[in-house]
Amino acid sequence: MKLLVAEDEPKTGTYLQQGLSEAGFTVDRATTGTDALQLILSAPYDLLILDVMMPGLDGWEVLRMVRAAGQDVPVLFLTARDRVEDRVKGLELGADDYLVKPFAFSELLARVRTLLRRGNAAALQTQLKVCNLEVDLLKRRAVRNGQRIDLTAKEFALLELLLRRRGEVLPKSLIASQVWDMNFDSDTNVIEVAIRRLRAKVDDGFEPKLIHTARGMGYMLDEPGAP
Amino acid sequence: MKRLSLTARLSLMFMLAVTGALGVAGVFFYQLSQHHFDELDWHTLEDKLQASGQLLRSLDDLAQFDALRPQLKALLGGHSDLAVRIVDAGGMVLFAADAETTGTHLHGSADAPAHGRMWRRRAAVIEVAGQPVSIELALDVTTHKLFFHTLTGWLWSALVLSALLSAGLGWLLARSGLRPLREVTQMAASVSARSLTERIPTESTPAELQQLMLAFNAMLARLEDAFVRLSNFSADIAHELRTPLSNLMTHTEVVLSRARSSENYQDNLYSNLEELRRLARMIDDMLFLAKADNGLMVPEAQPIELHALCEKLLDFYQLTADERDIRIELSGAARIEGDPAMLHRALSNLLSNALRYTPDGEVIRVGIEASGQGVVLSVGNPGATIAEQHLPRLFDRFYRVDPARREGNPSNAGLGLAITRSIVEAHRGEILCRSSAGWTSFEILFRGQK
Repeated sequence: MKLLVAEDEPKTGTYLQQGLSEAGFTVDRATTGTDALQLILSAPYDLLILDVMMPGLDGWEVLRMVRAAGQDVPVLFLTARDRVEDRVKGLELGADDYLVKPFAFSELLARVRTLLRRGNAAALQTQLKVCNLEVDLLKRRAVRNGQRIDLTAKEFALLELLLRRRGEVLPKSLIASQVWDMNFDSDTNVIEVAIRRLRAKVDDGFEPKLIHTARGMGYMLDEPGAP
Repeated sequence: MKRLSLTARLSLMFMLAVTGALGVAGVFFYQLSQHHFDELDWHTLEDKLQASGQLLRSLDDLAQFDALRPQLKALLGGHSDLAVRIVDAGGMVLFAADAETTGTHLHGSADAPAHGRMWRRRAAVIEVAGQPVSIELALDVTTHKLFFHTLTGWLWSALVLSALLSAGLGWLLARSGLRPLREVTQMAASVSARSLTERIPTESTPAELQQLMLAFNAMLARLEDAFVRLSNFSADIAHELRTPLSNLMTHTEVVLSRARSSENYQDNLYSNLEELRRLARMIDDMLFLAKADNGLMVPEAQPIELHALCEKLLDFYQLTADERDIRIELSGAARIEGDPAMLHRALSNLLSNALRYTPDGEVIRVGIEASGQGVVLSVGNPGATIAEQHLPRLFDRFYRVDPARREGNPSNAGLGLAITRSIVEAHRGEILCRSSAGWTSFEILFRGQK
């Protein structure tokens, strides 16, 4: 997967590039809108991450020209200003997502993966399997090591989310939004509690442990030793 | 067009009033004296007419007219301002006084000029020994006319003069009358320039200005309050930011001061991440409040089933509540119009607050009630009673009942209730807090909603 990060702030740009590269993406970086446009038009990317405020062409202009050139690549905007009209403008121009600074890197990563998945339109699987955990999404049944696990509706939704995005660190805010439809950053420990309970049912008494805590960032479900 | 000054306006009105009154008096006086003179002239003519008529009627024959001549002369001829002609039916002049002057003007009626003078005429036809004889009289009223001419002149000059005088006088009066206003204005200017804490003394101001001054003082009080809040807010922001920043700096410096194991670095970075998250959330919250203050937060108006909305939230918070064996009870139902995401946030703040202060094993009650005024949504929890003086200030930014203590979760920066209030107010609602006998409840009134 090849990404372009267009960001004029050197520190932000470097860290984004490093973080995304370490997450397994090939990342190019541009510091001006003009450079970004040149790169995009010369070689196709799978995703563009554009800062709104850039010298030369701003993010809006770059997006406009990319779309005018007939490229349908998903675009994620980064901005320091959160104004409703900016959002509207971005969406009208065909931006796919919008992230306000300061944002958590785990949040950005989660959104990047969502956008890339949307592009692929991966077929919805109804049977998910990780190691010795099997989940049937249609029958809403989870089996670990041949043993049936009883889950509440929310626990099941949480497990499904973790499974579908296995190997990804999911920030708490994303979990709250996806499972409970709480679309704001709250300071409660609800997600921790929910994970703790899920862990008690899914991981306690079984090996290997599948649910992992990425301290300060979020939670992840994966086989141990997976890359 | 520039509006006239009060002084100019008052002097103008004063001038108009005086001139008007004087004008009316002048017209009245003019009419009265004219009437008087007319009456006088009319009487004089009538008297002469009657007297001469009587004399003539005493004749048995017109041929004896000459015998009357001396008497007529005595009666009519002695007046220099009276012209007389007595004419018989054949047009022959029997008697005339000042005939050379009267000759041309005795016929006709009313006033007419002749020989450079003004005459008032009166004539009558009487029967003398079976023959009609006409008596024609004319009175010289030139002096009267002259008098009125002069009078008119005088009246006009008096009017103009008094207009000028009254304008000047009015200006002086208005100036001295408005002096308190000027003084008060000066005072107001100096007070508001000095500081917001001073007030204009209202004891010595005239009654008409007292209300204005009271309103002005009230405005100063509101400004001062807002200003104090704002500066406290800035100070609070600085303080709130300083604490995590100094944590970050100290921590990082200490860790860097010597070589450590990679776990050590990791630990420090994690702890930094937590502090930074907190900072980011606080900035988010402050931006949200700033937007609300500037009226940039416009809630959607969707129909919302409050019960369902609360249920969803309770579902979320139930997990935390279960951990501490707290029950959350929801009762009532109502529909309102509003922004679901914002109301989520507002209620979520109230619920997490309630959870924070409720002792383990107790019950939190969420009630929805439709009253005459609108829909009331309340979140009540058992816990320490909040003292009366804190209640209205609970919704202020960074306000803490006990400033030395940061209650509960360290990420609680004291902005939650301020945000809740902003959201409620953006929905044209009201929020208040009651606390007594170990029960604290927050009530939101969505006014006008059914």
